[in-house]
Order: sequence, then structure tokens, then C-alpha cells
Amino acid sequence: MKNVKRIFAIVLALSLVLALAACGGNNGPKKAKIGVGLYSDAGPAPDSTKAYLASLTEKLNVEFVYTTLTQTDEAANISKVQELIAANCDGIIITMDMGMEAILKECQEAGVYCAGYLCDFDTSYNNNYDNVFKNPYFLGTVADGGCGNELKRGYDFWDSLMEYNEAHPDDPVTHVSFTTFPAWAFPYQQEYVNQFIEKCDEYNKTAATPIVYDPFDESTDVLMFSPVDSTYFSKHADIDAVMCICAGEFVYGTMVSAGVDKTIKLFAAGYTEGDNANFGSRGNGTYQLELVCAPESITYPLVLLLNKINGVEFKDMPAEAERRSCTSFIINSDADMELFEKSIYLTNDPANALLTPDDVYNLTAFGNENATYAGLVEILNHMNIEDLAK
Amino acid sequence: MPEKLKTNTPVEETEKVTPLQFLKKHVYDITSYMGLVLVAVLFVIFNSGPRFMFNLSSVIQTASVYAVIALGAVFVYSMGFMDVSIGQQVGVYVILMILIGNKVGGVPGVIVGFLAVLALALICGAINGAVAVWLGLPSIVTSLFLMFFFTGAQVLLMEGTGKNSIELEQAVRPEGRNEYSLMLIAIVIVLALIAAYFFKYTKLGKYTRAIGANETTAAQSGVNTIKWRVIAYMALGVCVALGSFVLLTRTGTAGKGSGSGYAMDVMICLILGGMPLSGGMKSKISAALVGPFTYVLLSNDLTTMGVDLNWINFVKALIFIAIVLLTCRKKDGVLPR
Repeated sequence: MKNVKRIFAIVLALSLVLALAACGGNNGPKKAKIGVGLYSDAGPAPDSTKAYLASLTEKLNVEFVYTTLTQTDEAANISKVQELIAANCDGIIITMDMGMEAILKECQEAGVYCAGYLCDFDTSYNNNYDNVFKNPYFLGTVADGGCGNELKRGYDFWDSLMEYNEAHPDDPVTHVSFTTFPAWAFPYQQEYVNQFIEKCDEYNKTAATPIVYDPFDESTDVLMFSPVDSTYFSKHADIDAVMCICAGEFVYGTMVSAGVDKTIKLFAAGYTEGDNANFGSRGNGTYQLELVCAPESITYPLVLLLNKINGVEFKDMPAEAERRSCTSFIINSDADMELFEKSIYLTNDPANALLTPDDVYNLTAFGNENATYAGLVEILNHMNIEDLAK
Repeated sequence: MPEKLKTNTPVEETEKVTPLQFLKKHVYDITSYMGLVLVAVLFVIFNSGPRFMFNLSSVIQTASVYAVIALGAVFVYSMGFMDVSIGQQVGVYVILMILIGNKVGGVPGVIVGFLAVLALALICGAINGAVAVWLGLPSIVTSLFLMFFFTGAQVLLMEGTGKNSIELEQAVRPEGRNEYSLMLIAIVIVLALIAAYFFKYTKLGKYTRAIGANETTAAQSGVNTIKWRVIAYMALGVCVALGSFVLLTRTGTAGKGSGSGYAMDVMICLILGGMPLSGGMKSKISAALVGPFTYVLLSNDLTTMGVDLNWINFVKALIFIAIVLLTCRKKDGVLPR
């Protein structure tokens, strides 16, 4: 009888310990593994994104695995997503809109949620909305540079040019040309050119010194993801600046080899390692504008995925996936560049991130019962250069 | 009369083969089969979780495209030749199938699209096989020309659409993942049986192997080497067209980069499957089945074993080099033959 009592007591004690352990397990978020398919495996943007996510692993109890997607081969992207699923990922963040319907079928079969980052999923939005944005396994995306009716990058270029001219009244830019990527890859870039032209035409009506723009010429001004041709600067012979709506790295190298880097200014989207040495009044002073998206914007898809994985939802979560734009760092002065150089984008130091792990935790529905989708979206409006100063 | 001469049995068949001799003779077969068994065992061990079936069907989806193309490539590789334009051909064929399929509409559109691509593939096969002979060029030069031609065609076709990615409107795969996997397995089995028949029991297989062993000897034995080279390349063309269709069933879409890397992947698959790169009598159809599944299972195993996804290609390259070194002829250090 004594032994029975002892066994009974031991069983009770063990049950208590187990119950306590189980209760303790409910306090934090569920262990999760998120696969991140980036557009490149190296460079300031991927490196800072990885550094930012690494800082969140402990607080959010999440592990990240990375792969690199392609912009042109949907079968390769499907295989990459299958690899992430095989690696036991619970959620996937992707940066390419390529083969999305098939990718989401894979995710649905495996019970894995998917969300976008640095991509407006424009092809899917316009041609395959029902199968992508209405798919319950696609949670939404955050895009750099705006999407849908939030497009304004062309106005950012114009405003930066105006700021430059105000700061340099003795040597203003009065003649510009454009470069973009092809419309099949970035359909909005031509719209940005049109926005710039619209502002320029309006300005010229009253300006004492009008600003001339060269008509957009598809044969020279559209870059096929390769450096601008050397004939560009003979075709646009009298320009003071290039409005490089696409990445500046595709123009800068040719400017140097053509010997025009000291005479022509470059207003560009994106940042490539080393650009800061020739920005504003530094170096040859070629770069006068760089538009960069904060790596912290990945918080949007991450929080949506973690909510799903933890089985919770925002009360105001929209019924269909949304695409949201994130404000950009508009770097168009020496002071802006100094601020930018202290950001996580260039330092890879999470201490310089706009959001701490606690901030991100409080944005989740499992970390903060008052957290809302609107609050998460609002955060995306506070990722500009002024926020770096705070 | 000596005992041996009394019978019609070949001398070597009556000699007793020791296990060591057997191993030496079949070292490449054994290595390739053991490789497949090893990666299959690892797959089972590291995929014991709830995603076993998902991962298995992923392997089938990826390997099927390689297997279908490799079954045709065996005929070309057995002659000691190769075709580096496979990937670009696949890209153009997938785009054409979508464009024609959408234009005509419905299932008939898919059929018309496939038949058009099949005709084009046969023409390209004929060009690949014949031009090299007529101009006295190495066959790889002709396939290089086709590679550049198809690269340009792929870019022009996609730019004509004004989109980054185009989609086939007609569904061409079963909704269920398991049904789709079964469909792919059926396609591979049927094609493998047909290819095996042609390779083992018809002139096509015998002559292509003879050309690979020694083209001059084959020609002097009465084999019309030009004709059989053309037919072999056309057989590859048929399989490239079929492989493109299988790829289309997987993605439903195509872009500028569709098919990229397939030429090298198919070559790696065949070598992993035990195919001698120099062709000849030791060429075997099984390489087209063993290789693709070994290659894809290896990728999956490395992933599930926790190898960094960005390091997988590097690890695969190391394993590939190791296999080549293990199976190359020690005497003169060339690739397996």
C-alpha cells in the first residue's frame, strides 16, 4: 500500500511539473522557422535585412533561413520555395513575383504561409488577383517606391532636383535626361518619368530659367539590367544630370569611363556599396540623390506570418491580402547621407535599427492584444530619413 | 577437337567471372545505383516528418523534367556528342506553347501549341545533327549557334508580350498533388520504355553507340553516320519538346529565364547516372532515370539535413567532382567510358 501511495505521489508530482512546464511554454511565441527568398545574396540591402532579422530571433522565437530567387525563371523559384518547405519552414517571405500561382499551390499543400517584401507583385495583382491576393496562404506584401495609386517616386526626383538647385544657385541643373529599367520588369518606372515631366512642365510655365528634359528614348534610355551604353552621353550631349529612375550603379560606371562623372550629376534610385564616397560634396560629387527602402520594412510580412503561425489574428485584419508601400529614405544632402551612414542599412548593426525586437514583438497580435493591422501599416510610414534622426 | 570449340557458346561466357572481376566490370553501374540508393535512404531518414509526401512529390516534379529530357539526350551522348542549347530550347518552347495555347484557347490550344513546338524541335534536331556534319564542325559548335539563336528568340518573344511572366490560361495539370505526381510518373515510365526499346532493340540505339565507340569503324561497317546522327538529335528534340510540356505543367508560366541551366543539369544528371561522356557501347538508358533522381534527391537531402540553402550548389559541385574522380579511367584520367 505504501508503494502504491509513493507511486501515486510521484505521478502527481510529475504531472504537476509537466503542467507547469506546459504553462510556461504558453508564455512566449511558438517556435517558428521563416524562409526568406531574397533577390540577391549579397549587398547592403540583403546584408542589412539579414542583420535586422537576426536581431529578432530570440525575442520572437524565430529562426530564419535564406535562399536567392531569380527574376526571370519561375521554375527555379518554385524549386527554391520547395526547398524552403523541405527545410521545414513555417512561413516564407519572397521578393519576386514569378510563378506565384504555382508557388502558392505549393504553400497551400504544405500549409505554409507566404508574404512579400520589396515587391509590389504587380503582375499577379493585375493579371492573377484571384489566385494570388485572394489565396488564403498569401498574406500581403510591402513594396518599396509605392504601388497602385500611391506612386510618387517621380515627384521625389523632382523635389530633390529643386532642393539641389536651391542649394546650388550658381550652378543649377537645367537640362536632364532619364534612364529606366524595361516596362516588362518595372511597369511603374515610365509613370515616374511622366510624374517628373508633369512637374517640370508646370515649373517651366513661370520659371525664369526653365529646366529642359530630353524626350524619353527607348533605344538608349531603357537599360536591360546592364550598364548604360557609352553612346548615351553623346545622344544626351548637353545634360547636367541624369534622372536614373532605375539603379544608379548601371549609369555611374559608364559616366566614369566617359569622363563625365564630374560634370554630370546623378539622381538615382537604390544604393550600391561605395556610393557614399561620391555623394553630395564628397569625392567627385556625382550622386545627388539616392532612394532607399528601409530593411525594417520586412517587419510587415514577418508580423503577418508570425501571427498566422501563432494562430492569432489582428481584429482589423483585411479579408484579402494587401500590398502596402513603405516610405523611402530620400537621401539628397550631405546631412542626409551622414544620417543614412549610421543606419542599419550601412552598419548592419541592429542597435541602429528603426525598430527594436520589443517594438516588433508589440506589433504582433500574440505579443500585444491591442496590436492592430492599422498600427502595423502605420509603422511603414515612419521609415524615412527624418526617422533616422530620432 | 578441343572441348571449347565443340559448342557455339562464346569463350568468355564459359569462363568463370570472379566477384572482383564483376565489380571491376560494373564499377560505374554499381557506383551510380549505390548513389541513388544512398540518397534515397537519406531521403527517408531525413524526411520522416509530416512533409514526407510533399517532399517526395517535389522530387518527382523536379526530376521528371530532367528525366524526360535525359531520355532523349542519351541518344546524343551515346555518340559522344552533347547539346548545349537544351535550356534555351526549353525556354522558347514553353513560351511558344503558352502563346499559341492562349491564342487558340482551351485544350485544343494546348495540343496545337505542343504540336507546333514538336515540329520546331524536330527541325532544330535535324539542324543540330546535319549542319555539323555538312560543315565539318564539332557538333557542340552547331548547338552553340542554336543556343545563341534561342537566347535571342526567348528575349524577343518575352519583350513582345511586354510582361515579365506569361501564363497559360488552360489548366494542364490535375488539381491534386498526388494525382499530378502519378501523371508525371506515368509519363516518365512510358517514355522510358519507348526510349529503352529504341536504344536496345533498334538500329537507332545500336548505331548511335557504335558511332560513339568509333565513328570511322561504324561508317566503314556500312552505318550511314550522318543519317543516324540526325535521327538521334531529332529524338532528343522530341524529348526536349516533351520535357518543355512537363515543365509547363509544373509552372503554368514562363519568362525570360525559363529553362536556364537545363543543358548543364541534364549533363550532370547523365554523368551521375553512369553515362560515359565519350559515349560508346557502355552507354545506357538507365543513366537517364538514375541520374535525375539522384541529382534531385541529393538537393532535397542536403536541404533537409540543414545545409545552408546558398551552399547547396557548392556541396553538390564537390560531390560531383568526387564522383567524376572516382569513376574516371585511372590510366589516362579521362571521364568515365
